[in-house]
Amino acid sequence: MSKRNTIFIWLSVLVVASMLLAACGGAATQPPAEPPAEQPPAEQPTEAPAVEQPTEAPPVEEPTAAPPPEEPAERKVVTLIWTQEFDTLDPLYTQMWFVSAIYPIYACQAWEFDDQNNTVPKLVAEMPSETNGGISEDSRTITFMLRDDIVWSDGTPITSADFKFTYDMLMADGNAVASRSPYDLITSLETPDDQTVVITFEEPYAPWQSSLFAGAGGISIVPAHVLQPVFDAEGTIDTAEWNRAPTVGCGPFVFEEWESGSFARFVANENYWLGRPAIDEMFFQFVPDDASMIAALVAGDGDVGTFFAYSDVPQLEEAGVTILNSFSGFNEGWYINMHPEKGNPALKDVNVRKALALAFNREKLVQDLLLGLTGVAATDWDNSPWVDPSIEPYPYDPEGAIALLEQSGWVDTNGDGTVDKDGVELVLSYGTTNREVRQDTQAVAQQDLAAVGIGTDLQSFDADLFFSSYADDGPSANFSLDIIEYSDSPNFPDPDASVWRCGEVPSDENPAGVNTTGLCDEKLEELFAKQESQVDFAERQQTFYEITRYIFDNAYWIGLWEDPDLFGFSDRMLNVKISGATPLYNVFEWDVSQ
Amino acid sequence: MTRYIIRRLLQAIPLLLLISIVLFALMQNMGDPLATMGGRKVTRSEDRIRLARQLGLDKPAYVQYIYWLIGNDWAKTDMDGDGVAETPGVRKGVLRGDWGVSLVTRKPVTEVIGERLPNTLLLMLAAEAVIIIVALLIGIYSALNQYSAADNILTGVTFFFYSMPVFFFALGAMYIFSVNFKKMGLPYLPTVGMFEPEVGQTPAQVAWHMILPVATLSFGFIAGYSRYIRSTMLEAMGQDYVRTAKSKGLPRPQVVYVHALKNAALPIVTIVALDLPFLLGGAIVTERIFGWPGTGRLFLDHVSRSDTPVVMGILMMIAAAVIIFQIIADVAYAWLDPRIRYK
Repeated sequence: MSKRNTIFIWLSVLVVASMLLAACGGAATQPPAEPPAEQPPAEQPTEAPAVEQPTEAPPVEEPTAAPPPEEPAERKVVTLIWTQEFDTLDPLYTQMWFVSAIYPIYACQAWEFDDQNNTVPKLVAEMPSETNGGISEDSRTITFMLRDDIVWSDGTPITSADFKFTYDMLMADGNAVASRSPYDLITSLETPDDQTVVITFEEPYAPWQSSLFAGAGGISIVPAHVLQPVFDAEGTIDTAEWNRAPTVGCGPFVFEEWESGSFARFVANENYWLGRPAIDEMFFQFVPDDASMIAALVAGDGDVGTFFAYSDVPQLEEAGVTILNSFSGFNEGWYINMHPEKGNPALKDVNVRKALALAFNREKLVQDLLLGLTGVAATDWDNSPWVDPSIEPYPYDPEGAIALLEQSGWVDTNGDGTVDKDGVELVLSYGTTNREVRQDTQAVAQQDLAAVGIGTDLQSFDADLFFSSYADDGPSANFSLDIIEYSDSPNFPDPDASVWRCGEVPSDENPAGVNTTGLCDEKLEELFAKQESQVDFAERQQTFYEITRYIFDNAYWIGLWEDPDLFGFSDRMLNVKISGATPLYNVFEWDVSQ
Repeated sequence: MTRYIIRRLLQAIPLLLLISIVLFALMQNMGDPLATMGGRKVTRSEDRIRLARQLGLDKPAYVQYIYWLIGNDWAKTDMDGDGVAETPGVRKGVLRGDWGVSLVTRKPVTEVIGERLPNTLLLMLAAEAVIIIVALLIGIYSALNQYSAADNILTGVTFFFYSMPVFFFALGAMYIFSVNFKKMGLPYLPTVGMFEPEVGQTPAQVAWHMILPVATLSFGFIAGYSRYIRSTMLEAMGQDYVRTAKSKGLPRPQVVYVHALKNAALPIVTIVALDLPFLLGGAIVTERIFGWPGTGRLFLDHVSRSDTPVVMGILMMIAAAVIIFQIIADVAYAWLDPRIRYK
């Protein structure tokens, strides 16, 4: 046999072997030969709940006998194009939005939030309140009364022991969980019986609805009967098999398979207490490239996509994709460096800060760059009930900006186009991440600010570098920039924001602080501390009105645009609603037209 | 020869050690893995401090490197933050075969890479096969028909594709053969992934989904390889032994494919041998665009999360493969050309 033939034979063998290796999981991903008999879909509400705070759990779907199908029905598979692959499926170990967004599929929280961001009880029979005794008089103790029909997908009842176990796992030193917030503020979690969970905080904790076993910033419970033996044996659940393959779940779908980098499958949970979902399978296709996601949606290879650029919306709509906006509390804006020592002295003058707001034509930015699909943000809390309703974004007024600068002594004395004062030119360093829309915004802002004589030094960074801590000399934490641009929304729909707190200013003593402005304003600190323990909604709202007005008047934060999450759905999707806090909250009601 | 191979392998050890130090140092400046942890918000300061302690990221870089290299089962870690190191380490270090655990997925690095390697090899070997076959056909044809219209057209076409950015070709092909073909009612290719969820992961589905990625990976290399083959073939065709073969009246295919191509193949083997180790690294752009679950995408995803253990694992695998394939190339040289001898 010649050498050439040998080479070709070996090459062929390698290709065939690789193909077989890659396809060896095929058996697991084959759809069943006999599709399950189609169940009648769950009750399909078409209107948002009229009441602001629904407190009753949805009724249990009575099991109905399925009529025998005349011919095998096609399986209902919904393909979700996900641009970021899950890091883990254990809610205790992730901070990824692309994982927490799908908790309503495979996991379960005490309650979820609907498309109006009202609470929807899931594991609890009703929302804790002072009226039903769920919130104690001193507001420190919150009691969950669990439903009596909730079960894990393997049929094991979900009880208060699962809540206790989840809490214990969060606090165990052997577990490197993603966050202990707010569980490290809890003094005790007791379980007097299987259906009762009593949680006591050291102080009244106002944001409990958005973070206590619920919400975008919260977690889902984990199964004690699966993970307790792992923890007992290894002293940690960091590397538990369940974290990657949660085959026992409590959502309307159950984990089936996850092939790294490729796909993940969740199939209908036959034991779901609100009834079997109408969809047979949720198939996640991991496609990291935005342009490829758009092509897949346009070509009909995907049913659901999210996190695409505003500029892609027209093409998607033309292809019949329905776009749904959901405000999840994110508002893009400029955080001004107010650090007492490291901040630019020019920016300590409120006139200069207001001049920035007046000089930048943000309405035009929203129209041109974001195709008018969103609005200009006025505060860090826009699209929530916490903003003083009298606040309107600063208008575009370059003459007003010049007047304010002149009032503070900033004029162009040397004719170089940039205003100066005491021999110092007003040139501001302006940094953000390398997200395309942010870099485009920088370019537009540079032109507008230059028109009133404010120079800018634009910088952009990879997100992990940009948000590196003070200890790692991260540009958003070391106060080397005068303006930093990003959006943040911890614990939405709760308004609490640690980035404004004095105790979070990064320093040598506090290298992990997250207050990126370096601002420690006495009045603001007092107001934030006050709201933290105001469990009463109306009282807290009034405090937040003061906070938002104060930040706005002092131009500590300059809004650019309201940044909703964009979701695209193919035209065969039915009954879809999106929530800002728990986006896929009604996934068990979804259906597809065949 | 055996002594030569052993000597080369021994020389590779300090080289790999040096490479690992340089790469580890570079990774320390790639960002903070705890900054956002892939989320949309900055990690809470209390959690950042705790996680740094639990994951050993609060240690100086040289200590982290030593733990990576020889493990930490001889040291203790402060897990509860009381300032007392009380928990024995469990890592054995790469020298004892423990490549660590991913900071992102908390899975062993060998498992993380092992899941992706077959997919990458499948894609890259298929592409390499297409590249070699098509480049051979074009190169030989061009050499035998030098300066003909066909030679000029083939040269022009291959350089047209060679100068086209990979992402542009990939997205262009996707829009033409997937999106627009479907719109026009023509048979169309899939956009992303390895199979249709409704059909399942069958070899036929995988092959069907490989067409566009393989084409994308191949087009650029075909130009380079074919020009190289054309050049070496032209040189071989002018040699005395080819003239002798022709004058003996041997059939033209035998002259071309046995006498000329065999001798022209030597430098091509070098190129292929040097390219092969990089197959393990996958193709970052192509895998990303077509959603192909290979090591290229793995590398990109984990670099963006500053996941040092996984990134180090991939880079060290490629570094070791480069060294090994260079030795293999040297050995192949001696095997193909009896005049070459190593001492």
